[in-house]
Amino acid sequence: MFLENVKLALSAIRINKMRSFLTMLGMIIGISSVIAITAIGSSIQGVVNQQFESIGRSAVYFYVNWAMVDDYVPSEALISREEIEELKEHFSDELLYADPNVSFSSPVKVGNAEKKIYVNCVGSGYEQFSDVDIIYGRMINENDVEGARARIVLEANSARRLFGTENAVGAKVELTVEEEPVDFTVVGVYREKETIFTQMSTSDDLYGYAPYSLVPSQADYTIYIYAFLAPESNVAETATRIGDWLAQKKGLPEGFYIYESAEEQQGMINDMLGMISVAIGVIAGISLLVGGIGIMNIMLVSVTERTREIGIRKSLGARTGDILLQFLTESMIISALGGILGTMLGVAIAAIGMSVAGVDFVIHPMVILVAVGFSALVGMFFGIYPARRAAKLDPIEALRYE
Amino acid sequence: MEEIIRLTGVSKTYDTGKIQVQALKPLDLLIEQGEYVAIMGSSGSGKSTLMNILGCLDRPTEGSYFLAGENVSGKSDNELSLIRNKRIGFVFQSFNLIPRTSVLKNVELPMIYARLSAKYREERARELLEKVGLGERLDHMPNEISGGQKQRVAIARALANQPPIIFADEPTGNLDSKSSVEIMEIFTKLNREEGTTVVLVTHEPDIAEFADRVLTFRDGCVISDRRKGEVKN
Ligand SMILES: Nc1ncnc2c1ncn2[C@@H]1O[C@H](COP(=O)(O)OP(=O)(O)OP(=O)(O)O)[C@@H](O)[C@H]1O
Ligand SMILES: [Mg+2]
Repeated sequence: MFLENVKLALSAIRINKMRSFLTMLGMIIGISSVIAITAIGSSIQGVVNQQFESIGRSAVYFYVNWAMVDDYVPSEALISREEIEELKEHFSDELLYADPNVSFSSPVKVGNAEKKIYVNCVGSGYEQFSDVDIIYGRMINENDVEGARARIVLEANSARRLFGTENAVGAKVELTVEEEPVDFTVVGVYREKETIFTQMSTSDDLYGYAPYSLVPSQADYTIYIYAFLAPESNVAETATRIGDWLAQKKGLPEGFYIYESAEEQQGMINDMLGMISVAIGVIAGISLLVGGIGIMNIMLVSVTERTREIGIRKSLGARTGDILLQFLTESMIISALGGILGTMLGVAIAAIGMSVAGVDFVIHPMVILVAVGFSALVGMFFGIYPARRAAKLDPIEALRYE
Repeated sequence: MEEIIRLTGVSKTYDTGKIQVQALKPLDLLIEQGEYVAIMGSSGSGKSTLMNILGCLDRPTEGSYFLAGENVSGKSDNELSLIRNKRIGFVFQSFNLIPRTSVLKNVELPMIYARLSAKYREERARELLEKVGLGERLDHMPNEISGGQKQRVAIARALANQPPIIFADEPTGNLDSKSSVEIMEIFTKLNREEGTTVVLVTHEPDIAEFADRVLTFRDGCVISDRRKGEVKN
């Protein structure tokens, strides 16, 4: 019986191909936008998470609360290298890494052209927490920092452009640090992970890492601390504790040093993505509603057109339930077909969009299942009224219908 | 002989809002198993009204209808569907085949609603279509065959669940005389060889001649009930 109803529904759809397709369009648009949005959303979320993973989940950036500063930062607010060391010692369990957040940029010669190199100055052990993928040589180490040695770890592309090879370990490059020329020795080369952001940065700048002690003007007294907390720690609680301890120690009011954490930013971005998804989900929901009403409309037309057929079926012994199921199956199949086509379209849109953006395409099979199931449900809901109308027809009146 | 149809005081009044039409005046009627009955009468005399009640497609306004001893007047819609499905075969003047559905599928319909297996259905439908001389047209659509052939399909369909009784409302009304005779021969054969009770409506005396008993209607009343061999009055 069920099989018969499916066959009947399919042949009814086949007979009115154009009409059925137009009816499905509402579902197709609704479902495809839901699928595309959730797929794009989860793909972007994947990228964002990956991005933060590479920064380090427990990265925390401490800075002065500008709301508590009048015109300029008072000298007692400046944090010395010794204080950073004290901080690390005091919070030895939670604070795994801290540096004064130093960086500089310098002109550099690539062939005959003058380019710009951005150098992030770090302490030793940075690579343990951030995912710097060293492919040749080594990362900045304790000795480099202690001795303020002019050592640099180059990004692989930058190395190739400077020296014609990625393996540039041992090569020398002259950079300007605080207006003074400094001869750097390349001690390592790292590879940047391909992400949506690196793809988009088409600038021809160069990148590298150096020890922070090379820039004493920034490193010796800072108002920023870049740190990594122990992965298992509660970031918000620990970071507040560290900031307050530092403020208290320096005789500054509580809340003077505040922080931003990767985790919180990630959470914020995810929340925002979630909100966008919900908003678009609502729009998609409305289009599903409209699609459902379209199905109801066409089913009512179909019931009227086939009144005589319904009369014949009843005269041959079809029961109320048989007719009800026949039309319900038809509306569910129209709707589910729309859902399947919509899913395919949505996946295609998302896949193309994501491949253009160069992002790994993520879609949960559950989403597809839910989409198709939900569209069948929409078909059922909006098919009930027309199907009931068909089922309740009086056989003799239906047979008389012209 | 066992009785198969008994009407006691069955009447039908159509209420069209403004006027009420009593299409069938209170009627008592007895038909026995294996009878071959023709119903005649002028247009509008209530023949179809009676046939629809007999075929359980419509309900009488008053009176009781016993089908094989069972009172069907108080049955629910679904119970009537079951009776139409298993115990009654109905043949219409306008064939009433389902369009865009093959001849074979049309014949299978009553068996689908009887929840019979696909395999059995197809076998039985083939057999029935062969019996009415359409073994070669199984996959044709109703619009691809002639009127006489359509009516034969309709008869095959009416016989699908082996009902003990066949009702036919002007089965030859849309056919030429040659096809009409062919159709009537099928009914006659059914009645003679399988003992199926046949009740049919016709305007043509030639067609009525095939039957053993002729009921004549006028203005919702039976004005004559004549059996073959009896003298005309
Ligand atoms: N649905 C209806 N509503 C109102 N009146 C009806 C309806 N059906 C039939 N009638 C009336 O009932 C009377 C009997 O109709 P019926 O169809 O039984 O006649 P009939 O003998 O079958 O005629 P014909 O030989 O033309 O088929 C007619 O006067 C007709 O107008
Ligand atoms: Mg009639």
